Amino acid sequence: MIPFVAVVSLRNQESRTFRLWIPLFLIWLILLPVAVLLSPLIFLACLICRVNPFRGVAVMWQILSALADTELAVEHRSAGMSFHIF
Amino acid sequence: MSEHRRQILQMLAEGKINADEAERLISAVEQPTVSGGSDSSSAAAGKPRPKYLRVLVDSEDDGGHEGPTKVNVRVPMQLLRAGVRLAGLIPAPALSRANSAMQEQGFPIDLSQIKPENLEELVEHLNDLTVDVDQKDANTKVKVRVFCE
Repeated sequence: MIPFVAVVSLRNQESRTFRLWIPLFLIWLILLPVAVLLSPLIFLACLICRVNPFRGVAVMWQILSALADTELAVEHRSAGMSFHIF
Repeated sequence: MSEHRRQILQMLAEGKINADEAERLISAVEQPTVSGGSDSSSAAAGKPRPKYLRVLVDSEDDGGHEGPTKVNVRVPMQLLRAGVRLAGLIPAPALSRANSAMQEQGFPIDLSQIKPENLEELVEHLNDLTVDVDQKDANTKVKVRVFCE
């Protein structure tokens, strides 16, 4: 399952937390028609690079699917930021 | 008595190995049967498969100027596997350029020899990876941990 939401959390030194929810599913919905429109070009580029286009699409889909549960958090003094993909 | 054990004892009797080596060989031969099966995959099956690669960095500044810094990264193992498959799609001309660039940097590795199944095996073996780095300077203390969970 591809990730649907990403959360960026920022905390400043006064311990105020700002949390931003990024609806990735909207981005996928926007990108889907673009990908469909660009698919002949992608197919052509794959043929030029001698890469199996179906395999390429499959791998890209696997990478997108595997992004879920990725987490990055950095804290410095009392400030910090975190990025979590759900 | 198993065939392996008999062979080891035979080698001991013939003086090809000493008693310590014989003991080590016997324990190595008997290890899979002690763990509950001769198949190595059955032993691995008991251990839960890790889902994430974690990198933890903990830096403390004793001087008090910079303050402590903590980094916590969690990467799904599936993402590593997918990345490995992506590496398998790199076209041959790009691979040869990467090879020459790596050789210039002192890494004589032929990337074209690395097959997807080898890389899959590599990711599988990351399961047992644990790296602990402790560095202490005059003012800073850095601790890095890389492990799978």
